[in-house]
Amino acid sequence: MKKTILGLFFVIFSLQTSANICDSFKEELPLQAGGRVKPLFVLAKESVKFLTGKSKYNNEPQVVTFCKLTLIDQYPEYKNIPLLVEHIESKELVGLPIDEKFMSADKLLLKKDLIRSEIMKQKQSTPFKKDLNKLYSRVDTYEKIITKKTQMFFSTETKTWVSLNEISSLTNETLPTVLKNNMKDYIESEGDHYLLELTYVKSHVYSWALLLCIIGIILTVLLKSMKLGISFALATIFLEIAGMTMRILVSGRAPVTNMYETVMFSGFGALVISLGILYIRRDKVFLLAGFGYNILCLFMMMFANNMLSSSISPLVPVLRDNFWLSTHVTTIILSYAALALSWMVANITIFKMLAKKLTKKEYRYYQDLTYTCIKVGIVLLAIGIILGGVWADYSWGRFWGWDPKETWSLIVLLFYIIIVHGRYTSWLTTHRFILMSAGGFMTVMMAWFGVNYILASGLHSYGFSEGGAIFLGTFFAIQTVILIIAYKQRHKEI
Amino acid sequence: MNKIIELYLYIEGILSSAKFAVVIITLFAIALVYGTFQESYHGAVFAGRLVYKSWWFMGIEALMFLSIFMATMVRLPVKKRLYGFYVIHAGLLTIFIGSFFTYVNGVDGSIQLLPNTPAKKLVINEDVLRIDFMGDNKSFKVPLPKTAFAKDLDIDVNGIQINTFLPSAELKTTWIEDPMMSTSQHSGHFQIFNDMVSQEVILSLSDKSDFKSMQKMGPLTLHYMPFLLKDCFLKKDPSGYIIWNLTNGECFTPKEKSLIVDKTDKGTNFVLLEDGKGKYIKFFPDFSPVPVLDDLSKDMNSPYRVLSKNLFKDKPNLFIFGEDIVYYKKRKKDWIGLSLKDDIAKLPWMSFKLRLIKHSNDSFPVETPSYIRPIQDSGEIVKGDLKAVQVTLGNNTYWLNSNAPLALSNGKSEIRLMLTAKEIKLPYQLTLNKFKMNKNPGTNNPASYESFVQLLDGRSTDGVTKHHVYMNNPLKYDDFTFYQASYFPIGPEQYGSVLSVNYDPGRFLKYLGCFLTVFGSIWHYIINRKRKKATA
Repeated sequence: MKKTILGLFFVIFSLQTSANICDSFKEELPLQAGGRVKPLFVLAKESVKFLTGKSKYNNEPQVVTFCKLTLIDQYPEYKNIPLLVEHIESKELVGLPIDEKFMSADKLLLKKDLIRSEIMKQKQSTPFKKDLNKLYSRVDTYEKIITKKTQMFFSTETKTWVSLNEISSLTNETLPTVLKNNMKDYIESEGDHYLLELTYVKSHVYSWALLLCIIGIILTVLLKSMKLGISFALATIFLEIAGMTMRILVSGRAPVTNMYETVMFSGFGALVISLGILYIRRDKVFLLAGFGYNILCLFMMMFANNMLSSSISPLVPVLRDNFWLSTHVTTIILSYAALALSWMVANITIFKMLAKKLTKKEYRYYQDLTYTCIKVGIVLLAIGIILGGVWADYSWGRFWGWDPKETWSLIVLLFYIIIVHGRYTSWLTTHRFILMSAGGFMTVMMAWFGVNYILASGLHSYGFSEGGAIFLGTFFAIQTVILIIAYKQRHKEI
Repeated sequence: MNKIIELYLYIEGILSSAKFAVVIITLFAIALVYGTFQESYHGAVFAGRLVYKSWWFMGIEALMFLSIFMATMVRLPVKKRLYGFYVIHAGLLTIFIGSFFTYVNGVDGSIQLLPNTPAKKLVINEDVLRIDFMGDNKSFKVPLPKTAFAKDLDIDVNGIQINTFLPSAELKTTWIEDPMMSTSQHSGHFQIFNDMVSQEVILSLSDKSDFKSMQKMGPLTLHYMPFLLKDCFLKKDPSGYIIWNLTNGECFTPKEKSLIVDKTDKGTNFVLLEDGKGKYIKFFPDFSPVPVLDDLSKDMNSPYRVLSKNLFKDKPNLFIFGEDIVYYKKRKKDWIGLSLKDDIAKLPWMSFKLRLIKHSNDSFPVETPSYIRPIQDSGEIVKGDLKAVQVTLGNNTYWLNSNAPLALSNGKSEIRLMLTAKEIKLPYQLTLNKFKMNKNPGTNNPASYESFVQLLDGRSTDGVTKHHVYMNNPLKYDDFTFYQASYFPIGPEQYGSVLSVNYDPGRFLKYLGCFLTVFGSIWHYIINRKRKKATA
């Protein structure tokens, strides 16, 4: 009896102390990880998501999970944290039943060498090999967290970044006190600039923007009120500017350096351009297109985590030029935004045509609206491509190198130029013009995503079975079906 | 005459039409799509040669030029509403002309800089076959065609016939039968592997083979030996030496023939072998397998060779005697012999295993290059990264490739052939003082590359000038622009730098054309908008 009470007492006591220690792992704690300083919350959130594939483990705050992993000796049960295993062949390799998705970390850690050797064995970069690389990096991340190698803490004594073990060896204070002092000292010596990222991540600014957009589009359609719509659009733009400004201040560069950021910027750009066009041509359809496209982008940012990573990481050396990043890439993305508007307007026209017969005059009118967006897109795209050429000339010594990304942007431009010239021939009727404008966005998607997700993976990688390629393939399929239906419908009418 | 004018007007009508423009732009775009896929599968060089720099692609570009030019011509004399149109199309034509200048006169190369070593050689990405006639000090550089596929050539350089050029190739092994081959000239094909890596090795004792009898694989050395020596090798002898006769394959240990094994005054081991005529053949087995003459020079004419097994005990050495292997097992302090005939042999290092794939004593392996399309995987050429040329001298044909130069003889003197890249000598020299690589804090990923170079131009009075070249900050000098392109390690924390070098005579025209095009399109839309408002 005594023993049980004593045991119980121990359990309660240890729970007590453990709770205390992880209490000192504050969300605001500055850490150096992945080449830059970030608040613990951001690292913990990204790590938990990467390791477990879920946003939270055990329904506890991510910083607590991260703390317990870091102090794994005191929380041996966290050695069982389930790590995500995705590919079927990967499951086979590590001996996980095919219908299970997770494997406990300590078991997977034992397979680390096996995974490594299998990666070496696979000569060509198949999806299996890519998944193995991801799995290896997952196990490695776990191992580095529990061996305290991922996360470097600011040392009050040396003013440098050191591991948690070194910190303990440098001072006699208890961990909670040390961590508390660290944060204070770091802020004193380097400022609290890094905390902006915490505000940015916790503000969920894009979720709010999405909500505003949805309300805006509903009000515009149901109440047929342009004014309400425009005010919601302006509010959305304001929120998105706030979000992007925070991101720019955190990363120190234009928000167009990875897929996540370009999607974000294009959605924003399309809404701005739609308001701009609306100023010249007052038609509700632009506002609907702008809202619609922005909503699609925000949805992708929120739910396509496999394809778009929201984390901020250091740039490769060649892109480190803010002037060119903020001119060339933004212009290209803005042009894609304008072309996205033309795509939305063209598709809206197609649906209108399918739903109720548009008169010839109305059809012509919508063709004209689509053309307005295309014109903006073409000029911006031409400027963007030229700026890219000038940047390439400036930093690599060649204006043009037939690199797939630049060639595909040229293909997009050529496609829309065909539309423009086609208007002067008898070949391009209003109906065909609308179909081509709706289909033309497929070239944009190819230049934007396809080059990275399909072409970059090369002949022997069977890239089509992966996240990005599946997304693209689905998009192409749906758009093609719409085009075929529309094409046949019109033929019946004639 | 009228007919000619009619015909001209007819052709002008076609070339200047929007329909013609649409067709040509469509063809151009399709070619580009094809090119990007080729690039993704086979790499940039192949795609460039197959599409972007091919005659038919240039043809499409020429037709596009013609279409733009004619479309502008038929809209003359100048009309006010077409101002924007003229500027756009003039801009496009200017870009075409600028690009043409770049294509014809431009230089695109790279320069490799080693720390503190002056360099002035520019390497251009064009293939050249260099032929040096060593006897009469003549040297020829034959430019090879920029082809994507294997191409037959018919070039004669002083009696050397250049037959074929393969711009991308892989070496294929073929076994050539030779019934006259001596039994000790066998060859073998092996696979050495463990759970992590696998590599295939071909070893040969034939002097006609392209393969050698020894190969290093990391810390492991493979020694391929005549199968006759195996039993002799496993014989126990206190000296640890074996001696064999190259001509008849006879092999024995010093103990068997009661040879004199001793040390010199300085402690060097030696063996003496009586040659049957009362003369002694001297070996210093710790230094050379070849016996020495009285003046201590090597006696290459002697048929005898010696091997000191003691030299191979410390490091991983694997002796392969045809279909059997022998290695030294440190734990047992003994040489272990295994057969590969029926089974895979386990090696005592890092759980490596050895498999015999082929053994032959009536054929020998040769490597001949054969054409393949290069294969790109994750941005790197993984196959076909080899160029090869076939030449004929007299009645014999030979292959040489970019990894292996060729030395021939025409009876009078030696001829050396080498497949290399074209080079240009700069009239000044660059020296790398320091290469700096900054890393992202706390990681191993590079954040920037920087070269600190000094430039010395004998033609100018400036003397040595110092420059700092890094990403997005090139050095411009004497029409050339030098860009930080790459780097290569040469020692611990020591790097050499590669700068790409570029001369672009069409640059100004291209920039002007771009400006005109953009300016023109904006102007065009403004004019159209005004006209629309006016009519509305």
